[in-house]
Amino acid sequence: MLNSSDPLVRIKELKKYYRVGDERIEALRGIDLEIPQGEFISIVGTSGSGKSTLLNIMSGLERPTKGEVVIAGARLQKVKERRLSDFRRENIGFIFQSYNLLVQLTALENTVLPLIFRGVGKKDREKRGREILEIVGLSDRMYNKPNQMSGGQQQRVSIARALINRPKIIFADEPTGNLDSKTTEEILELLITTARAHHSTLVMVTHDPAVAKRADRSIHLQDGMIIREERYHHEENR
Amino acid sequence: MSKLDILLMAWQNLLRRKVRTFLTVLGVLIGTTSIVVMISLGIGLKESITQNMAQWGSLNQITINSFVQFDEEGKPIGEAKALNDNAVEELRSLSGVLAVSPGYEIGGEASWGRRQGYISLVGLDPSQMRQFEFETTRGRLLESEDRFNIVLGGMVGYNFRDPSKPMEPHDEIPWEDRHLDEHNPTIAMVDERITLNVRNNTGRERKFSFNVIGMIDPLKMDRSWNAYAPIEEVKDIRTFIQGNTAKNNRARTDNGYVQGPSSDDYNFIWVQSENIERTKDLSKEIRDMGYQAYSMADNLEGIEETSRIIQAILGGIGAITLFVAAIGIINTMIMSIYERTREIGVMKVIGATFSDIRILFLTEAGLIGLAGGFAGLGLSYLLSFVVNKVTANMFGPGMGAEFAISMIPPWLALFALVFSFFIGLLAGLYPANRAVKISPIEAIRTS
Repeated sequence: MLNSSDPLVRIKELKKYYRVGDERIEALRGIDLEIPQGEFISIVGTSGSGKSTLLNIMSGLERPTKGEVVIAGARLQKVKERRLSDFRRENIGFIFQSYNLLVQLTALENTVLPLIFRGVGKKDREKRGREILEIVGLSDRMYNKPNQMSGGQQQRVSIARALINRPKIIFADEPTGNLDSKTTEEILELLITTARAHHSTLVMVTHDPAVAKRADRSIHLQDGMIIREERYHHEENR
Repeated sequence: MSKLDILLMAWQNLLRRKVRTFLTVLGVLIGTTSIVVMISLGIGLKESITQNMAQWGSLNQITINSFVQFDEEGKPIGEAKALNDNAVEELRSLSGVLAVSPGYEIGGEASWGRRQGYISLVGLDPSQMRQFEFETTRGRLLESEDRFNIVLGGMVGYNFRDPSKPMEPHDEIPWEDRHLDEHNPTIAMVDERITLNVRNNTGRERKFSFNVIGMIDPLKMDRSWNAYAPIEEVKDIRTFIQGNTAKNNRARTDNGYVQGPSSDDYNFIWVQSENIERTKDLSKEIRDMGYQAYSMADNLEGIEETSRIIQAILGGIGAITLFVAAIGIINTMIMSIYERTREIGVMKVIGATFSDIRILFLTEAGLIGLAGGFAGLGLSYLLSFVVNKVTANMFGPGMGAEFAISMIPPWLALFALVFSFFIGLLAGLYPANRAVKISPIEAIRTS
């Protein structure tokens, strides 16, 4: 079982190789990382630095080649492929750069989609969906489809969707990459406050140093290795 | 994921591409319609032939004659076993036999009031009449205690005419309308007396009078020209006719038949079987026992065989159409999965299981099949109705009111729905498995 003092994420000597033709690409070349519960960590790196691969492995979308990944007490290597979707549903929330909402569903339906897969009844899940859409400031957009909303609004829906299962950890892959600077600030603010309010750990991949500095800690990846780690103190977030 | 949510989501997905979904459903519709209509034609064909045959004689009845038939060279075919009470008992002991009645058949001049005519009189066991599917439209059937009562075939009245008049009113009636109540003179004979005048071979004449107590449906072609009386009465008349020469054995008649061994033997024995299937076997069994047995159902074998072949060919044509429709479903589903790769990836990332994805796509394919099935069945009923109307007009009312060349029995309707649904599911298997195999990372990466 997970003690409150244990880190939520523990990664040891993580390596990930891809084989492309005869060539071996070393995406991750030995990562050691621990993330305590409730921390907001940003992963910074250029394209090809391995940051997306690291995120994919932490979220169980990809298997490590070597090393150990323990998340919320579960050794991901040991979890069967079929159980991984259950694992994600129970523990993880996702936020993508391109929102990835289902175009045919309303904001409310998109928000409660994880609960639909969980088999939660319509009444219960919509009640929870409304509450959370209110938190992200979209109570007047609940029945809008994605194409009737701005990028910022869509990202709010996707934050609501990520939060609805009360996940232990939220992975955000360039969540502000498609947004203008004003909206970026709003979304970041929302992401940080809601994650804190839900006691969720937040792992955010970004290439924007200004965004990365909003985290408690920032790790810099280059050629599949952690090359630098920085800690920031934000009085206003505490 | 709850069943209702899957159904709703599948339904929404189908509505996203209305034209494509419609066209795919149209394919299934055409396939289902062609299968149903083709099979319905096969069924209708067989039914109308069977109905037609039933007009000419009950399909449950086997007639055993006392005659020996001869081939072209005049040699007897087989041996005619004697039709006596032993034979009746033997036949009664066969399985699937509901009733057995021996019978005599005689003919003679008769009078009804002032009218004269000819009557072909059949004597049979009066207690068995009901068992042999006799039904009266007027009066009642013979019962076991009846004496000198008689039941007439529905057309017998047309045999009688008043010699003092040049024409009877019924002479004007066209043949196809003669069975109708408003024209039929037989109806007037019920509850009246008719008298049979017979002369034996010594020249003596005698009259036998009967009360007409009932009349049989004129549309029963094999029975409408005969009159039916209790066997004992007919036997007495027969004995009188045969007179002193009655004991002549094996008198050869003009029409190539020879009477059975004894003149006391019955002319025929009827056997009523429990159903058509049994009739065919029973008829053959009785022939194998050495009797000259014949049944309308004997002809059914060939008709059924033919209609099976017709149904197989017609159904085959329909099946090909439905097969093409199934390919249409596969195509549509694969297209849909290509378009929705990203969506499938997202669903997997946020917690959809393999089986959620598989069931979702199978449901979509199944719904296409089922929708096509329902629509196709509707169209089939419409086509069937039109075809029946058109053919009924073409062949006219002579074929009877219930004549239908296309029949969709409930089992066929149910079969069409279930089958089209399963075709949909089957066509969805491969696309659904492709959807399951989509890697979420790949799916999300494509932007």
